Amino acid sequence: MLFNSYDYLIYFLPLALAAFFLLGRVRAGLAVGALVAASLFFYGWWNPRYLPLIAGSIGFNFAVGSLLRSRPRHAKALLAAGIAANLLLLGVFKYADFAVRNFAAATGLPLALPHIVLPLGISFFTFTQIAYLVDVHRGRATEPSLCNYALFVSFFPHLLAGPILHHSEMMPQFASPSNKRPQPWHIAAGLFLLAIGLVKKVCIADPLAPVVAAGFDHPESLSALTAWLAVLAYTLEIYFDFSGYTDMALGAARMFNIQMPINFDSPYHSTDIREFWRRWHMTLSRFLREYLYIPLGGNRRGEARAALNVLITFLLGGLWHGAAWTFVAWGAMHGVGLVCLRAWERTGMRLPRALAWALTFAFVMVAWVFFRAGSLEGAGAMLRAMAGMNAATERWRDMLAHALAPDAQSPLGVTGAALVAGMLVVGLRRNSNALVRDFRPTWPRGAAVAVALVWSILQLGKVTPFLYFNF
Amino acid sequence: MELPPSPSVTVERSSARWLAAVLALAVAALCAVGAFIVWVDPFQQYHLASRYPPRFYFLHHRYINPGLARNQAYDTIVSGSSIMENTRNDFVALACGGSAVNLSMPAMSASEQRLMIETAFANRPLKRVIAVLDFNEFAGSVDERQDVAGPLPRYLYDHDPFNDLPYLLSWDVLVKAWRIVRGDTTERFTSDPNAAWFWGNVVKFGRDKVLRGLDLEHLNARYQQPQRTLSGMRASFEHNLLPILRRHPETEFDLVWPPYSILVWVDFAQRDQLDVTFAFKRYVFKVTRALSNVRIVDLQPDASVTHDLDRYDDIYHFDPAVNELIIEATCRGTWNVDDASVNEFERQLREQIALVSTPSGLKALTGQRRPP
Repeated sequence: MLFNSYDYLIYFLPLALAAFFLLGRVRAGLAVGALVAASLFFYGWWNPRYLPLIAGSIGFNFAVGSLLRSRPRHAKALLAAGIAANLLLLGVFKYADFAVRNFAAATGLPLALPHIVLPLGISFFTFTQIAYLVDVHRGRATEPSLCNYALFVSFFPHLLAGPILHHSEMMPQFASPSNKRPQPWHIAAGLFLLAIGLVKKVCIADPLAPVVAAGFDHPESLSALTAWLAVLAYTLEIYFDFSGYTDMALGAARMFNIQMPINFDSPYHSTDIREFWRRWHMTLSRFLREYLYIPLGGNRRGEARAALNVLITFLLGGLWHGAAWTFVAWGAMHGVGLVCLRAWERTGMRLPRALAWALTFAFVMVAWVFFRAGSLEGAGAMLRAMAGMNAATERWRDMLAHALAPDAQSPLGVTGAALVAGMLVVGLRRNSNALVRDFRPTWPRGAAVAVALVWSILQLGKVTPFLYFNF
Repeated sequence: MELPPSPSVTVERSSARWLAAVLALAVAALCAVGAFIVWVDPFQQYHLASRYPPRFYFLHHRYINPGLARNQAYDTIVSGSSIMENTRNDFVALACGGSAVNLSMPAMSASEQRLMIETAFANRPLKRVIAVLDFNEFAGSVDERQDVAGPLPRYLYDHDPFNDLPYLLSWDVLVKAWRIVRGDTTERFTSDPNAAWFWGNVVKFGRDKVLRGLDLEHLNARYQQPQRTLSGMRASFEHNLLPILRRHPETEFDLVWPPYSILVWVDFAQRDQLDVTFAFKRYVFKVTRALSNVRIVDLQPDASVTHDLDRYDDIYHFDPAVNELIIEATCRGTWNVDDASVNEFERQLREQIALVSTPSGLKALTGQRRPP
């Protein structure tokens, strides 16, 4: 079930809230049980066949966590086995096709691809549980209740797209009896954040999608202007899509009296790549830093080793995003960018802030080309277009119009407005985190939330007629 | 990480009032939108258009047809792809008796045809189903759909009102409803319920148009139709249509092979699809011959139609008079396939294809073009 769906917004979320708080009045344990059941229902809505997978994963990691505590003598072996099993699960479901395809290409063997369907959220719930096992091993986490643990992993607001949680930051909240009572201020603040996220997703990210698709599907037909426009549209689309989804996740969690860690903090304000990664997908950055970069040695073994560790971390981070060389290239770009930044910083020179911002933003945009392109060849074609290496035959006004309205479903005004609105919102000093931190239930804000909810919900039901006109 | 503490009891109280007001406002607005859409009902999902003239929006078949299937009075349906859109309901009723509705849709797949026919059956018993079969609808997997068809609004094809929210709470539908009330005719639509999807009156048919931009050596260069396999087509037929034929022995089914222009068959020959296609036709005959409620009608050997390119818009789509000819032939039984004619029809068509595929044959058919 998606957050931006009628099923979620009209039926699931209100019913889950009602069940949680009504049962919470009877007994806290019942509320937790209801929330676990609701979360598994939420997950199974997509494909019930994968419910045993997540249930099995939860049971396995809970058991390993318990063994880690009760058998400290075998802790290292247990931890290694637990992490290996999680990575194996991820490898089979996410990387099997990629591995077989590349092995076949390297050896020339005619191997059939397994074509395993990727279960939703597997990257997130696997990483969450790897972090749990490591934390148990380090003595930072302990969880005696399977029900509470199941809620920690499956809690539906973070299940499909994060944030990636730490056990220690969530369990006290799940265990708190007072959190089982409805608290109007938190519900109101959560609804406010959810409305912001919904507007980001539905009113900015979604209208940009056709423009992005049209550009990346046919980069060979783009002029430099329209190629940059397509990449800018994607730069905004991915931010508003993911941060909007995260706002909706954090908002829904807040309505259940749960505070989840923020995942985005105006990343496009960054003036260098390091700052970008402190502001973009922050819980993934935290995970990679704590569970990969630092265990590899971090920057404690000299500059060369630190650079290597950065590269390894970003290569694997890129691969985590998807089983394709484009994601590896995207991770490599950021890794190399960060290594170059470290070298630059050692020179002691500093760029003017505006220039540093422009360079960082341009670098992030170019890197997104690899993230979005369907192949390395596609990324190369887009980069060539951005460099003006395609012959442009149209006037720039026509090019702009075609780029913004590539099909009958994309009115020029709507995509143009989404692009401009996206740029303006990106430039705002106060982001959704700041707005919800200072939330007060004022009437103008209430009217804005009601309008945003109604408007966004009405945008979900798109009527898309038959597209082929030239029969 | 901790939940931020509530600022004060006063804020909690004002938050409760705020929440109640925001939710009441949002729910009231959404209910008003839903009620307005139900009242106008642009896609005729809950009632046929009566307060305002109906609007059959250009290329919105997949949204409106389920409403017609649910609310229109009929005992006969016509189900086909875009080639059958130029079939008038009253002509079907006149030729076949009873009352009819045309539920055709462009770029229809076999699974969509199944869904459309099942939707009609779910609403009323049917005396007759005229199902015009396109070879391409059986290409690909059994649930294959064409990308150009856009998303299929499945929620409109069932009887569950709780999943109708994408219709009831849609800005696009709201705008359509508002335009209907205002009498705004910005969008392209027709208003004749007798010919909801008719386009034959706005298109000029003719040989020149059929041949324009056509590479006679590579006919599929323009149409980009998929390759088909016999096993794939059989699987699709068995999954999508055969169960319906068996489930409704009380209903007469006419499975119609439509008279594409002979150039379609030349294209099949160029793409090595002839034997697959004929094998599939033989299979359909074989698998349905034991079903007394099923007749197969084959107008594809009718050279008086298929060789007259002036009757076509392109190599597939014919003029409305051919639609009438199909309906008449179907209901009079003039081109029925039986044990005696099945091989003869194939022989005639193969002969025609062979003749037309020669340089002189192609030249005779197309006139101004120099054949390879």
